[in-house]
Amino acid sequence: MDPLEGMDSTTDDDAASQTTEDDPQVPENHAQPPASAQPPPPPQAPPPTTSSREKPHYELRHTLRGHTQSISAVKFSPDGTLLASCAADNVIKIWSPFTGELIRNLSGHTKGLSDIAWSADAVYLASASDDTSIRIWDVDSGLTTKHLRGHSSFVFCVNYNTASNLLVSGGCEGDVRIWNVAKGKCMKTLHAHLDYVTAVHFNRDATLIVSCSLDGLIRIWNTTSGQCLKTLAEGHDAICQHVQFSPNSKYILSTAHDSAIRLWDYHTSRCLKTYVGHRNDKYCIAACFSVTGGKWIVSGSEDNKVYLWDLQSREVVQVLEGHEGVVVAVATHPIQNMIASGSIESDLSIRIWTDRGSLAVPSTA
Amino acid sequence: MNGSLINPFTITHPTAVQTSLQAGASFAKFDPSGKYVVAAGKGDGSAAVWDLSTRAAVRWLEGHVKSVTSVDWSRNSRYVLTSSKDWNISVWDLASDLDSPQRRDVIRFDAPVQSASFHPRNCRILLVLLATGEAYIVDQRKKYRGRVELLEVFDDSDDEAQMGRARSAMTVAQFEPSGKHAFIGTSSGSILVFNARTKTMVARHKITGAGAMKGLDFTKNGRRFVTNSSDRTIRQFQMPTYPPPNAEREFIEQELDPTHRFNDPINKIAWHAVSYSPDGEWLSGGAADPAAHKIYIWDISNDGQFASALDGGREPLVHVHWHPRKSSIASTTNQGNILIWHCPTPERWGAFAGGFEEVDENVVYEEKEDEFDIVSGLTPFVSWVFALECVGGTGEEDESELAMRKKKQEDEEVDVMGGVMEEEDANVISMDVDDEDVEWADDEPDDDLKGWKMPIVMEDEFEDGL
Repeated sequence: MDPLEGMDSTTDDDAASQTTEDDPQVPENHAQPPASAQPPPPPQAPPPTTSSREKPHYELRHTLRGHTQSISAVKFSPDGTLLASCAADNVIKIWSPFTGELIRNLSGHTKGLSDIAWSADAVYLASASDDTSIRIWDVDSGLTTKHLRGHSSFVFCVNYNTASNLLVSGGCEGDVRIWNVAKGKCMKTLHAHLDYVTAVHFNRDATLIVSCSLDGLIRIWNTTSGQCLKTLAEGHDAICQHVQFSPNSKYILSTAHDSAIRLWDYHTSRCLKTYVGHRNDKYCIAACFSVTGGKWIVSGSEDNKVYLWDLQSREVVQVLEGHEGVVVAVATHPIQNMIASGSIESDLSIRIWTDRGSLAVPSTA
Repeated sequence: MNGSLINPFTITHPTAVQTSLQAGASFAKFDPSGKYVVAAGKGDGSAAVWDLSTRAAVRWLEGHVKSVTSVDWSRNSRYVLTSSKDWNISVWDLASDLDSPQRRDVIRFDAPVQSASFHPRNCRILLVLLATGEAYIVDQRKKYRGRVELLEVFDDSDDEAQMGRARSAMTVAQFEPSGKHAFIGTSSGSILVFNARTKTMVARHKITGAGAMKGLDFTKNGRRFVTNSSDRTIRQFQMPTYPPPNAEREFIEQELDPTHRFNDPINKIAWHAVSYSPDGEWLSGGAADPAAHKIYIWDISNDGQFASALDGGREPLVHVHWHPRKSSIASTTNQGNILIWHCPTPERWGAFAGGFEEVDENVVYEEKEDEFDIVSGLTPFVSWVFALECVGGTGEEDESELAMRKKKQEDEEVDVMGGVMEEEDANVISMDVDDEDVEWADDEPDDDLKGWKMPIVMEDEFEDGL
């Protein structure tokens, strides 16, 4: 049972509502040497004074370049051996997170990609594209094993359940679809929202699906009956961009355009924690849980940085600097203290950060 | 985990058909996780594993050449045991990513096999019943390898009287949930209890008036069991306690009195199958009605009162099995369709609105202090301003107070990792570890471990030109 399976991160609005390059923020980093050169660790950003809690010490390990258009998602495979990334350039790239080498390109989609998801056995990868289809790839062979068609608009987000026999996807027409993976057929269509569905996620036992949309609502669905069980609304300024269940599926984590990340108890509809400090009012930025060492919340930001918060105290505990574009995609490694982050144009790099930590967690090479 | 969200009411028995699987099945049985059913094919010796979350067959068990007579699941669902009229039993390993899956074992007998089941603690111990009325315990462990027939013994006193009489045929055989004993029903209406380790008979219970035994089912905790017999009555019994077998091979000769009898007093219908709910509080009986699909449900916790008869349409019922964890039933029709029954929850349209709670009954609104007060003695305008000020004043105060309270609330620790109810081994009841019988069963444990996953086998894509 891998708690990080389906750990998600969504995308910038590529084909749809993308507004690039009007961000006046000038990256304070000097000319970054390209490709796999190892730049010195970025200076530790001074976080607000914190208590004596442990803190993360992530350092840049690798910079992966190769995508030619905005990166929309990065995902570690559930066994931790591979990193997949997708971008608006129609290509999925498979990397080694330890060496930073490009292993394989998966090409076949005819339009940009918004999201990818690994099956729990790390054999298959599902990809959601603006060509309105989802492909399931055999990552070893690089071939498409299933081509799922049915959405009438761009497919924006996709995720497997833990058993990996089901796939859930969200499209820009507002529908959530549930697919039988083995047959490659759509089992159920939920007319879930009135606007782009920006994130979908199964809970641990796949009894529930959480979805969120640019209509500002987070909805929870019964997978088998397709019934809507609950709606969480954050308010008019807080259009939700991304949502996922916590590893134990007791809470949901949402990011919103009021530059806040919230942790909800969906049983009581109560917001338990609010994480602020980053900037997010334009792009679809994902957040994720980091649970391999200390418990952090990790998210990209429109100020080109990656922020780490302490899950409990809600303090910013580390800020990773280096990207020269908005960081829309982040992912945490399932086993090690490792973070991958991906940035949109004009940076177009994926950065791998590791925390060897005071605990001296061994990092495999 | 999400029971309260999905079904806010107390779980009851299923009431409606959720889905119908066109499986061409003669009967269907849930696996211990309740995620799959295995369906035995009609007559052709095939069987299939159906994934209930996709409602599709995921594995075809092809190997028998005559019809499959029984199926059983190992406790963590990795192995499926099928018995067949072709004199064979097969153990299928679902962990292989082949379709059809590998057979771990094929064991041949000298007669058609009527039923076969796994030992609840070790799936390398099998209980096999032949159509000729003999039962065997087959042990596949290296140390204990062998096949031992379970023989009914008779009292020495009336030995001579019994000598001439043939032993009555065994018609049903099952391990009770602890796995210490095998219960065997006979054509003469007795239940024989054998110790699984020593294979000796420890008890014989005559059930007066029952006729031939047709079926047995145990509650999960093993404290009660029901019998189905040819007198068209279902009887529930308290599980007696049995002393460990002794050297003299003594056994208990005892009549059992049922705590409850269930039958259909009007139509006197026979029962094809009986099945307990996971908590043992409900009992379902599949009626052998030739023209209807009826499942009778009795409320055991309410002194066995008849609760309801579920009507599944025109296709007559041939088998019924209760879900191992949920309020759900799988019933099979004689046309080969598997009906999955559930407890429907009414659609709550209020769920579509954020921050909106539907109430079932009217609730008296509790008025806040000053909410509807009329400030007397002032002109309407002044009172309006005054009211505004009141609202403004308290509002501000509330806001800072709210922010404070919110901050305080947000300081509460949350646990995003733990507290997950691990799928506990509900199918193996906990027992004293130093029990000889338990030790025997746990020796050379099988490889049916928790946490294995059935690999997804991608079906070949038939491009339909979409």
